[in-house]
Amino acid sequence: MAQPRIQLRRLSKSFRSGGGTLSVLDGVDLDIAAGESVAVLGPSGSGKSTLLALIAGLDRPDSGEVRIDGRAIERLSEDELALLRRHTIGFVFQSFQLLANMTARENVLLPLELIEAPDAGRRADDLLALVGLADRAEHYPAQLSGGEQQRVALARAFATRPPILLADEPTGNLDRATGERVLAVLGDLRRRFGTTLVLVTHDAAVAALTERRLNLSDGRLVADGARPALSDSVR
Amino acid sequence: MKTSLYLKSLARESRGSRARLAFFAACLSVGVAAIVAVAGLADGLDQGIRSEARRLRAGDLMVAGRQPLPPAARQRLVAQPGLELTETRELATLVAAPPAGGKPGPSVLVELKAVGSGYPFYGRLEVEPARPPGELLAGNDTVLAAPEVLRRLGLRPGDELLVGGEPFRIAGRLVAEPDRIAIGPSVGPRLMTSLAGLERAGLEQFGSRVSYRTLAKLPASGGQGELERLRDELTELLGEGTGWRVESYADALPNLRRGLERLESYLGLVALLSLLLGGVGVAQTTRAWLADRMPAIAVLRCIGMRPREVTTLYLLTAAALGLAGSLVGAAAGLAVLAVLPRLLADLVPAGLLEVWQPAAVARGIGLGLAIAVLFTLGPLDAVRRVPALGVLRRDVEPVLPPRWLRLALAGVVTAGVAAAAIVQSRSLTDGLLFTGGLAVAAGVLTGSALVVIAATGRLGSRAGPIWLRHGLKALGRPGASTVGAAVALGVGVVMVLGVLLVERGLNQELRAELPSGAPTAFFIDIQPAQWPGVGRLLADQGARSIDSVPVVTARLSAIDGTPVAELAAQAEPGEGRWALTREQRLTFLDELPSDNRVVAGSLWGDAATAEASLEQEFASELGVGLGSRLEFDLQGVPVELTVTSLRSVDWRTFGINFFIVAEPGALAGAPYYRLATARLPPAAEAPVQDRLAADYPNVVLLRIRELLEKVAAIFGRLAAAVGWLGGFTVVAGTVILAGAVSASAARRGREIALLKTLGMKRATVAARFAVEYAVVGALAGVIGAAGANLLAWTVLTRGFEVGWSLRPGATAAAVAASTLLAAATAVAAGWRALGQRPLAALKAD
Repeated sequence: MAQPRIQLRRLSKSFRSGGGTLSVLDGVDLDIAAGESVAVLGPSGSGKSTLLALIAGLDRPDSGEVRIDGRAIERLSEDELALLRRHTIGFVFQSFQLLANMTARENVLLPLELIEAPDAGRRADDLLALVGLADRAEHYPAQLSGGEQQRVALARAFATRPPILLADEPTGNLDRATGERVLAVLGDLRRRFGTTLVLVTHDAAVAALTERRLNLSDGRLVADGARPALSDSVR
Repeated sequence: MKTSLYLKSLARESRGSRARLAFFAACLSVGVAAIVAVAGLADGLDQGIRSEARRLRAGDLMVAGRQPLPPAARQRLVAQPGLELTETRELATLVAAPPAGGKPGPSVLVELKAVGSGYPFYGRLEVEPARPPGELLAGNDTVLAAPEVLRRLGLRPGDELLVGGEPFRIAGRLVAEPDRIAIGPSVGPRLMTSLAGLERAGLEQFGSRVSYRTLAKLPASGGQGELERLRDELTELLGEGTGWRVESYADALPNLRRGLERLESYLGLVALLSLLLGGVGVAQTTRAWLADRMPAIAVLRCIGMRPREVTTLYLLTAAALGLAGSLVGAAAGLAVLAVLPRLLADLVPAGLLEVWQPAAVARGIGLGLAIAVLFTLGPLDAVRRVPALGVLRRDVEPVLPPRWLRLALAGVVTAGVAAAAIVQSRSLTDGLLFTGGLAVAAGVLTGSALVVIAATGRLGSRAGPIWLRHGLKALGRPGASTVGAAVALGVGVVMVLGVLLVERGLNQELRAELPSGAPTAFFIDIQPAQWPGVGRLLADQGARSIDSVPVVTARLSAIDGTPVAELAAQAEPGEGRWALTREQRLTFLDELPSDNRVVAGSLWGDAATAEASLEQEFASELGVGLGSRLEFDLQGVPVELTVTSLRSVDWRTFGINFFIVAEPGALAGAPYYRLATARLPPAAEAPVQDRLAADYPNVVLLRIRELLEKVAAIFGRLAAAVGWLGGFTVVAGTVILAGAVSASAARRGREIALLKTLGMKRATVAARFAVEYAVVGALAGVIGAAGANLLAWTVLTRGFEVGWSLRPGATAAAVAASTLLAAATAVAAGWRALGQRPLAALKAD
């Protein structure tokens, strides 16, 4: 088998809560192949977001390790982690997290500028066209609807064509119809760029759009199975 | 990250925070304007003096002294090929209009200047009618009079005027002369005549205080080296410590420039204070601004910006804002410089001050930029510590910097402030004292602010209207930026009120009735033979407490056998050297006046030696004590006196007092004149002066009241300058306060929205804000007023040795103004948040 894109080994993380400690992840093992799309399901507070944070190097595990393309990230410095995210990982958040003082185009442009892409402007315009917002490029986030903001966030996440995309409840702040539209765009971009997707959600309908679904409960992955018949919107 | 991306991000970063960033810049502008104005004025005057030095000296070389130039020195000058010579003599004297109807005409004390032909070698005399001055002053019976002389005497050009009792014709009006810079007090307006005219007036008698100046002009072919050689030779010839001053125009009025430099270093520190207050504002604004930017910074980190890239970005933003604020401030400072000559028209000769001062601008911008960066270092450290995890979890707090780092940052800021203070004061000691004093003041203000705010916060839990309770409670809330605002405003109050109190205190002292029995007039240069007549005249006019003493002028030539020239060369410029080289005035008395007290030794106890009694502080400046032998040169005759007693003198009685009193007989045969004092009824002052001018024209009358008023006017000028700079600190304090309010307004926008959602009326919310900042303003006012009174007490009782009294009116007004200012600023700055619909603020979260 080829090198997994993402490997988690005996990954544990707990938080101090009140007087005691709350174990959020408790020895999680997981391999995700390149190009695979995975949903992590679980109720709120089950540790889904923590799992994403550890994969992206936004937080450090108590024990265990995270490998991205075979490279352990635990001993990387903050600077090295930043470079890893810059080149390898895209993000989509429930609350969009667009930079309010930048236009839609500038939000998409920023990651391209960071990697010093020579044709940054054209690529940003292309991406905005792909998410159907070519005519909204010069608008500020506050001037866009929630769905539009999330589509800008998708364009930004895919801007540098990162091999990995991490999505945290990407439709959590959207109504169903808008959410479906956003998911359709997400699936379209993912297929186009062959991106590995890790999506966390509490919504089984959203999870149903991925190739593989994991259930996170009490800090463990308790179920793991591929669905034989897949909707084609995300795959 | 590439520079271009930094610049692009910097521009983007400014969006949406423009108002706040404008505050950031404005905080600095005020202080930079003050610094540029002060440094520009000093540099401008210095340059003006240097570039116009020939004109201001009216010659290439000047030899000044209290006696005519010795023949040897004159010969040396004459021997110089192609050199032209002229001279001027100056003295104070009474001049009068001719008598009319059997009564003496009105009189006025003038500064009489007699000029030789060729004067001035450079620059020109401005006279009306516009004819060559040499022509107007030809012969020995004409004068040129300043307009004020004519006004006071009621005369016009063409009229007659009595100088030394001799009639002179007023040949014209003297509007300006090149070598007169009236920065110190002058005895009176100018009257000018020729050397022959002075001789005819007969005012150069023994004892009259004449300033002699010899001016030389070198041929155009003569180089700078030749001039310096000549200067050095003459200095050597005339000797150090002999009271002679030899200056080339290239020295450019060193005494005047030294005085200006001293003034600049004090005003420069006051200006620095407003910049430092701006720094406090910068730190506060940055903290609030970055607090708002935390989520965005987390996103940037998440996208892959490295911590140091984020820090660099914000540091660059701070520097760019600092630069912008400094540029605006420098422009404002130059604008002040442009209008200043008009405000100081009677102090600064026209055209002396060049407005464009690149060095001052560079210093202002450099300091502004340095303070901006220095005061943002602390808040910026937080940027490095923003966890990227913040994008996923709202409750993540930035990691607090370790203790050592906070201490190190405080050390860096203190060192930076000290460096700026040393630059501004040009003195290591003054710079460090300033920094230390400031640290103590800020510490006291911070400490008291913390205590009072905590206490008031608790008060808010008691009963009372809702706006009062919430307003008081808000003071103690975490993240309240009220301490910084209180410190800034408090320092502003100290400055402005302190200067005002000192000015009021001095004015009161100066304008107060003179101590009962104290003389109101001094009469100088009375020849011994004239005294009986002058004494009778005074008694006839109702003068009381008439007193007179003989005065002998002399130079100190050696102390305990060591020549004064040698001692002076070792002494520090200033007090010690002044005491050694001044023209000494001695008297001889049997008994000491009642305001003298012998504190060491005994008076005239030793029959075998010629004794002297010295005022104690003067003795310490000379570096002598009991038993020291002082050798004097009395008009060429050497006399040795031994110090056998030291005295303390109460100078405030305005009685006649001398640093050196000799035993009667010790100065036997020495030429002397008399000095007299008397208490004149105010109505008798003018008649006495007029009568003296007519009958004893060489006697000079100095009216104490008039002199005190002149001193008060000069102090008033200085106070105005400091008060004006103090105004800058108040503006800086207000800007900071407004910045603090608007910074917290955004954070509290949600709170306001919630309060309004819960049914609080806009007026109530405004009142709640007003209460919070009124407490800050009152606190700053009270502590600042206490500090100002302490400052005034120190300056008045220690510096000027006059009394201090509490001025409840001014003090209360300062507290009230500070309170109102703070409350009004708070309401004004929170206006937008108040007007906003609650939903907008709630949704923005």
